[in-house]
Amino acid sequence: MPPKRKAAAATAGAAKAGRASAMSTPGPATPRSLDSSVMSEAEEDFDEDVTEAQKKREDILHKEADEFVDSWKLESNRFQAKGKNTHYDAATHYFGSGKRDFSDLQLKPDHRNRPLWIDPLKGVIVLERFNPLAEQATDFLTTIAEPKSRPTFLHEYALTTHSLYAAVSVGLRPRDIINTLDRFLKTHLPVSIREFIESCTQSYGKVKLVLKNNKYFVESVDAEMLQKLLKDEIIGKLRLHGAEEVTTSYAPTMGALVIPGTQNAAGVHQANLRKAGKAGEPGEETELFATLNAEEDDEDDKEAVHAFEIADVNVEQVQKRCLDLGYPILEEYDFRNDDVNATLDIDLRPNTSIRPYQEKSLSKMFGNGRAKSGIIVLPCGAGKTLVGITAACTIKKGIIVLCTSSMSVVQWRQEFLKWSNINPDDVAIFTAESKNKFSGNTGIIVTTYSMVTNNRERSHDSKKMMDFLKGREWGLMLLDEVHVVPAEVFRRVISSIKSHSKLGLTATLLREDDKISHLNFLIGPKLYEANWMELSQQGHIAKVQCAEVWCPMPTEFYDEYLRASSRMKRTLYAMNPTKFQACQYLINYHEQRGDKIIVFSDELYSLKQYALKLGKVFIYGSTGQAERMQVLENFQHNPNVNTLFLSKIGDTSLDLPEATVLIQISSHFGSRRQEAQRLGRILRAKRRNDEGFNAFFYSLVSKDTQEMYYSSKRQAFLVDQGYAFKVITQLANIEKTPDLAFATPAERRELLQRTLVDNEKGTEEDVETDDLFGKVRGKKKGGAWGNGVRRTAGTLGELSGGQDMAYIEQNKAANRGLTKKAQKAGQSAFFKKIAREKERSRVGK
Amino acid sequence: MSVGTQSYQLSDYLEKLPGTTFRKLYQQPSTAFAIFRRMLPPLAKIFVQALLYAPSPLLLKQLDVWVKAEGKVQRDRALSILRSLHIVSISAGKDKPQEVYLTTNFQNSLRLALEGGGSHGSFGVPSTLPVDPTIDIPYLDRYARKKWEDILHYVVNSVGVHGDGGSGGSGSGPKASVKDLLLAGRLVERRPNTKGGIAITQAGFTFLLQEANAQVWTLLLLWLEAVDRSSAVASGMDSVDMLSFLFMLASLELGRAYDTSALTEPRRNMLPSLVDFGLIYIPRDPRQYFPTRLATTLTSTASALRSVSSAFAAATAAAPDDGTVAAGTESRGSVIVETNYRVYAYTSSPLQIAVLALFCQLNMRFAGMVTGRLTRESIRRAIEYGITADQIISYLAAHAHEQMARTAATVGRPVLPPTVVDQIRLWQLENERMRTTPGFLFKDFDTYDEYQALSSYAEEIGVLEWKSDKKVMFFVSKYEQLRDFLKSRKSSK
Repeated sequence: MPPKRKAAAATAGAAKAGRASAMSTPGPATPRSLDSSVMSEAEEDFDEDVTEAQKKREDILHKEADEFVDSWKLESNRFQAKGKNTHYDAATHYFGSGKRDFSDLQLKPDHRNRPLWIDPLKGVIVLERFNPLAEQATDFLTTIAEPKSRPTFLHEYALTTHSLYAAVSVGLRPRDIINTLDRFLKTHLPVSIREFIESCTQSYGKVKLVLKNNKYFVESVDAEMLQKLLKDEIIGKLRLHGAEEVTTSYAPTMGALVIPGTQNAAGVHQANLRKAGKAGEPGEETELFATLNAEEDDEDDKEAVHAFEIADVNVEQVQKRCLDLGYPILEEYDFRNDDVNATLDIDLRPNTSIRPYQEKSLSKMFGNGRAKSGIIVLPCGAGKTLVGITAACTIKKGIIVLCTSSMSVVQWRQEFLKWSNINPDDVAIFTAESKNKFSGNTGIIVTTYSMVTNNRERSHDSKKMMDFLKGREWGLMLLDEVHVVPAEVFRRVISSIKSHSKLGLTATLLREDDKISHLNFLIGPKLYEANWMELSQQGHIAKVQCAEVWCPMPTEFYDEYLRASSRMKRTLYAMNPTKFQACQYLINYHEQRGDKIIVFSDELYSLKQYALKLGKVFIYGSTGQAERMQVLENFQHNPNVNTLFLSKIGDTSLDLPEATVLIQISSHFGSRRQEAQRLGRILRAKRRNDEGFNAFFYSLVSKDTQEMYYSSKRQAFLVDQGYAFKVITQLANIEKTPDLAFATPAERRELLQRTLVDNEKGTEEDVETDDLFGKVRGKKKGGAWGNGVRRTAGTLGELSGGQDMAYIEQNKAANRGLTKKAQKAGQSAFFKKIAREKERSRVGK
Repeated sequence: MSVGTQSYQLSDYLEKLPGTTFRKLYQQPSTAFAIFRRMLPPLAKIFVQALLYAPSPLLLKQLDVWVKAEGKVQRDRALSILRSLHIVSISAGKDKPQEVYLTTNFQNSLRLALEGGGSHGSFGVPSTLPVDPTIDIPYLDRYARKKWEDILHYVVNSVGVHGDGGSGGSGSGPKASVKDLLLAGRLVERRPNTKGGIAITQAGFTFLLQEANAQVWTLLLLWLEAVDRSSAVASGMDSVDMLSFLFMLASLELGRAYDTSALTEPRRNMLPSLVDFGLIYIPRDPRQYFPTRLATTLTSTASALRSVSSAFAAATAAAPDDGTVAAGTESRGSVIVETNYRVYAYTSSPLQIAVLALFCQLNMRFAGMVTGRLTRESIRRAIEYGITADQIISYLAAHAHEQMARTAATVGRPVLPPTVVDQIRLWQLENERMRTTPGFLFKDFDTYDEYQALSSYAEEIGVLEWKSDKKVMFFVSKYEQLRDFLKSRKSSK
């Protein structure tokens, strides 16, 4: 131990030096994606509906974290100070004045048989997909690096602090990472990368945060490390006094863990089977697999662990501080040895089997027999829900599920009942309408983010319910669609509800505002990200033809466009009559083919105009719940209703397997996430496995407007996943469409005038809130639209009280009182039981 | 881009020559032989072979018997080529049937070339002096490659940036004479605001896309034309003699030293230029000269034609495979274009990288590979140089990696992603939407009324192109009437 610790201390020193230099040179916003460094950096972010004030506050909150992250970036001087490239030739200057010319890295003699290159500066890894070793290398890279671009021939991955963190947390050791990487590389592993990996991984996982008896402990096998943390000026203060200084116990030993639903679920030792299954293959591969799935069964686990307690409210602070010190905290939950919390009787139904990639993602989560917190990224329609349910069935403790809307709450409950054998009474729903508790002493609660974070006046019922949620220790917190929720909300959810492990699920871990990087601290690292193209080739999601249709603006519209305000511009390019015609044409064409079509428009005015003119059904924020259900049912089952217009409320969590064609007439600026989510609506098409079936995704853009710029930005994510957007400049025979709208100049002028007049008087009507609470608010309204009901722009933060600092104060108080409350909460048998259990465990120590 | 283009260029040049020039050219057996090998389609070769030792002229009708009815087109084509090159003549008698025969000079020279007689020295005179053993074929190949790449580098405008410590083949660029030649041939043009002051032109890009062999010919023909123009009789240079000297060089043996003194004075004067082009190498002892692969492959037949680069690849394959040399020589089949516009090229040749840099945004470079991407800006920049979208696409297609070809073949799709191809074209179209109208701008009016009156008058007579009430200025295509109008308006006041 001692030599190791010395090395760690040295890196910490280096960290400080690096940090100082990073701060003294305030660079541009940290480039998230590889492209930003190559392409223009001056890209505006219009994406999220966040008010200025909130943005500022978030900025301040994250500034420190950013600075820290920067100092750990591979580019920082700490890793790059080594002798610079002295190799020059005539082509060198094309690569950032030679900075990105790595041709002096010597190739290994048998480099042709190895699939990887690595950029020593940024840790970008290029993978040859056509190399014989590509499969193994892909497996390895998804574990240690972030996928950046995955088209057909060459993939790019990036080695980041977080990805390495994730790698270590699934049980890979720095040594293994370095050796395996070196084996796959065409060149020798650059020193900077080796050092980067070492310094990032060495200290990871040394310190753990565990929840025991509803209290948080900082735990480590290294007593001296804990002492050091205690001596730290910040953490030292945060230690909860009264308890013993440092407790020592024995780490649980590992046993076999079987994830239900997998082929191995038959009760066979997972690891053994794996090894046996791979035994026939060449040595290197087996070795690699062993490395990847290494179940940590070395002697370390038998060692004593030391721990000290910290207060719930300070968890994040301690986490951040530990990060600053270079000891990121690892959250793991040893659920099988948790006999304090009651075990939930849940298992997957025997006929349920999960797909290989789902299994892979879960094996990342349960890699060493314990549950790790983190995020699993799967495309829409690839069965995220089932992954969540399988995780729940593995942990078998109290589960809390957080979703974005009351609609998906209902869906989640149904899915639980569908896939698992859980007693329906044990799956409770907590929404504005129903506030059930489960019958037994443990169970599943499905609720929404807004229910949990809402701190305005609560009804008596929901207050009681919240207290119930806060007063318990949950085995697993499932966070659906993590990408839509601002960090602020997570922070509150996580500080108010205590769970041993957290699993975030999403299709698109993307935000234009970069807030996702903080999910790493709040939830955990990204455990798995599926390859869209691969899944679609295997038939798990539909194959999609993407097209971008360029619709020229008629002169009179363009004239008006150039003069208009930015809001009016949006309306104008959505109302472009050529676009309307294109839309009409495409609807006609695909309805004749027997397709079901969804048309998306962010712009409410045009949504209504298009739908009314074409005589199609539509749903938007203010549509009543009953009407929605009716429309959706009709769309699914009525052969006469083949086209549905949706506002952005339909972007996420809308399950319409009938839909096979998607047309987008207006969208939210350059949001890559929205594009991917919308594409997700047709990925689960029922007919996807039919021979030669293709789903269609059309994006209609008005030529020469800002839409073109946004459009290319929006497509960036999907294009990097390997989707190809075909540009259509001319739709064949469009003029032959029967009843083609706006065919004459007079009609176009009339449309323009009407658009201008209509929008002048009521631009406010156009504002629609995000899907997250659009529905909640929609319900309150009369449902009739266009009758002067005003909607105002709002953000989730505002609505859930994110603006209100008082909440935090209140919460702190509530948290402090929690233990006491729980003890004297005599009225409920349940609380009595909890109290008894706690008493027992305390005595037990 | 293959032989077709190349031969066409040379034949273009030859066809312009008068018959007397040909008679002169065909005095040299090497020229006759080279033209026979290089310039003739297979059918024409058969005709020539048949006629070569024929005792008497052949009846034209007999030729028809040799050719199948459906091959008449080829027959006519072959004959027309042979006639345009003054290899055959067809007697034009009214009462006699038409006869075909070889022109005397050509027949004699070709016979000589095949029989090997005579003391014409047309195939070069090997040097009898001792040869420096370090000058072997790989050495000559490296030398020629460096020279030629220097020229190409100059064309892509990449020379002289890091030229001095250059290890990858670039020195200080080609000689001034070569530069002038490139400028005169409009392969490059002067542009004041670019680095180095010159930039590639569309013709230059076409030049780059050519097979190395065709490039050499393009440059040599430019040279011949330049000599013709300047009528450099003073130096004794004559384009016909030069041409036959080039054909002679083509017949020399690679790796062998030849005697300089056996050359005529004008031909000796050509040597420095040929050294600049990398066609020959002159060692320290100037009594010897070595033809390089660039010269000896000048007249290889179509089927046997190896691009210079692949010849280099073959030559350097023996060298230790350290990746940098071998990979660099694979100028063909090395570029991968992905659907997300990323471009990966398996190359370490600074030249190919420079070519890619013309239309790609390059990102990273590894030993043997570079990464980059096609962006709107990078394509637009290329188009500003005059490179067309089609040229870029055909470059990418011609250099597509075998993996792309293989995948395309299995799926039955085109080699390049169609979306990318479309997009490159669209980017070009984007630039072609501008329309220019020459004309006159009216501004700085004394009063707003004056502006109003004048601009509305301009509108009435239909010459107004554009006006801005805000800036109080307008633009017209013609001004005469306006001037009169303004005068009469002023005088009436």
